[in-house]
Amino acid sequence: MTAPTLPFDDLEKVYEHLAITLDALPEADESHFLAQLALALAHRVPDIDQVMAAIEEARQGATLD
Amino acid sequence: MRPAGRSETDSLYFDYPHFPFVRPPELEGETVRHRVAIVGAGPVGVTAALELARHGIESVVLDDKATVNDGSRAICISRHSFEILQQLGVDAPFEEKGLGWTQGRTYFRDREIYRFRMPHSDQERYYPMYNLQQQYIEQFLIDKAHASGLVEIRWQSALTDIHQDEEGVTLQVSTPEGEYRLQCDYLLAADGGRSRIRESLGLSLHGQAYEGRYVIADVRLKSDFPTERRAFFHSQALPDATILVHKQPDDIWRIDYQLGPDEDPEQAVEEASIREKVSLIIREVMHESDDWELEWWSLYKAYTLALNDYRHDRVLFIGDSAHLVPIFGVRGLNNGLADAANAGWKLAWVLKGLAPDRLLDSYSPERRGATLDVFANAGKSTRFMTPPTRGYRLMRNAALALAFHNDYASGFANPRQVTPYTYAESPLTLADDPAFEAGPVPGAPLINRRLGDDDFLLDHLGEGFSLLLFSEDGRVEPTLLRGVEALQARGVDITLLRVSRSPGDEETLVDVDGSLFAGYGAEPGSAYLARPDRHVAARWKRLDPADLEATLNAALKTALGGD
Repeated sequence: MTAPTLPFDDLEKVYEHLAITLDALPEADESHFLAQLALALAHRVPDIDQVMAAIEEARQGATLD
Repeated sequence: MRPAGRSETDSLYFDYPHFPFVRPPELEGETVRHRVAIVGAGPVGVTAALELARHGIESVVLDDKATVNDGSRAICISRHSFEILQQLGVDAPFEEKGLGWTQGRTYFRDREIYRFRMPHSDQERYYPMYNLQQQYIEQFLIDKAHASGLVEIRWQSALTDIHQDEEGVTLQVSTPEGEYRLQCDYLLAADGGRSRIRESLGLSLHGQAYEGRYVIADVRLKSDFPTERRAFFHSQALPDATILVHKQPDDIWRIDYQLGPDEDPEQAVEEASIREKVSLIIREVMHESDDWELEWWSLYKAYTLALNDYRHDRVLFIGDSAHLVPIFGVRGLNNGLADAANAGWKLAWVLKGLAPDRLLDSYSPERRGATLDVFANAGKSTRFMTPPTRGYRLMRNAALALAFHNDYASGFANPRQVTPYTYAESPLTLADDPAFEAGPVPGAPLINRRLGDDDFLLDHLGEGFSLLLFSEDGRVEPTLLRGVEALQARGVDITLLRVSRSPGDEETLVDVDGSLFAGYGAEPGSAYLARPDRHVAARWKRLDPADLEATLNAALKTALGGD
């Protein structure tokens, strides 16, 4: 069984809200904020495999060159 | 703009026609009353003239130029627009010259991360999109207008002033051989983004401008790359610029690239800057090694601007005079053509006495609704194509990077190309019959279905309203037939299309594989009433033959502006 996921429309809202929130922060605090956000979101996911999979997805995207 | 030493009409591939000035009767002192005048012989203005001509209405079109547009500009024509062109009987040259396409690719850091496909199947006569330079678009429409006998195009005729009252509209026209007054019942303002008519009536566009400018440049280059839309984000060669590449006929390639926030637009459009950037993109981003020639370029900035009302008494604004939309999603020309078709049939119906003047009131809510729908998505796609801030740039690049391996993020890379607007909220549209589970809802355009090798449902539409009647074998209840004939006898232009499951007589449209019934969610006894512009006015899962005349009468009355 696949775990329920966020509908794309909501994902777009998250995208917009994050963009605005990031803009309101000093650039130097960007990665600090994003790391906190990752932990806060992970806390809300009851399945550690899902969280680890997400970390791996982001790692692959970050090394895309 | 063109390279040094070449005039605005000195093209590598297109022979610009020269349209002479012809003295109109008004300059000889004759008084002529025109039913419809159209200002602007661009694609939108001439399409409106052809739609009026399709319904037997003459028009006079004024344009201050002596030739067609100076550059390729709007190059993407959607399937829905092609269906408009088919109704005007002018689709053949467009199909012959245009390059049909169905898909596109998105690149991030020079790697293809996403491929999008537009809805397409063998049920369709046309591709979802065609690329064709605007000069050809204009040329084909003008050729058709010249052949129609109902459209008079007056070249080198500039509008200088306009006055309207209850009796009609008076235009002051300036020509190489003097000024004259032109009088008409109705005026269609197709005079573009810098509309003189809009200014003369003291109206202005409202909305917003977006960050970022783009250079759009055409080059001639031989390449085997297929006709697709390519979007490059964060390329190594130009990391800060989003780049779009489209193929056009005659080995012409359109390259759009974003200018950085620190770049001076004036300097960016100098020929040397254009050559430097374009060369870099051709070699390092498109990976083409052949020689290329620079053809034409222009500067572009994204806006979402519209008039509050597209109708001002006897003046209807169509196309860019009414609204400016961002280029991403190719909605400028395509929405303009839909404006022209919408305004055209309604004006024809009013002028023929088949509908009250208030039918024209529905033009603004329907077409402005389409504009506002574009605006709702335009902000999103423009911020994606041209991130205005650090936060948006970071999020955009994150979404693109994730999209490479993960489908859930690929929606962000989808260019959200134009789709026809559904007039669901229109006063002309009846409430849906809840018994339907599929098919185009009232307000949506009819969908096409294949009937044979070179035979499609939409080929059979009439000039006016069309009534699609679904039956087992094409036989229609005599009371139903009489009802339709009674309407026709009253002057209502309505064409009966009989769709059947099994072969009937010659005029029956046979649904060979069941896809027509299925596509329309229909059963024997179902009916769709479509307007002259192919949008569904009403539909009935089971149309009772005994009530047909009353039901159809009521639907037609609503679709023609109500009581």
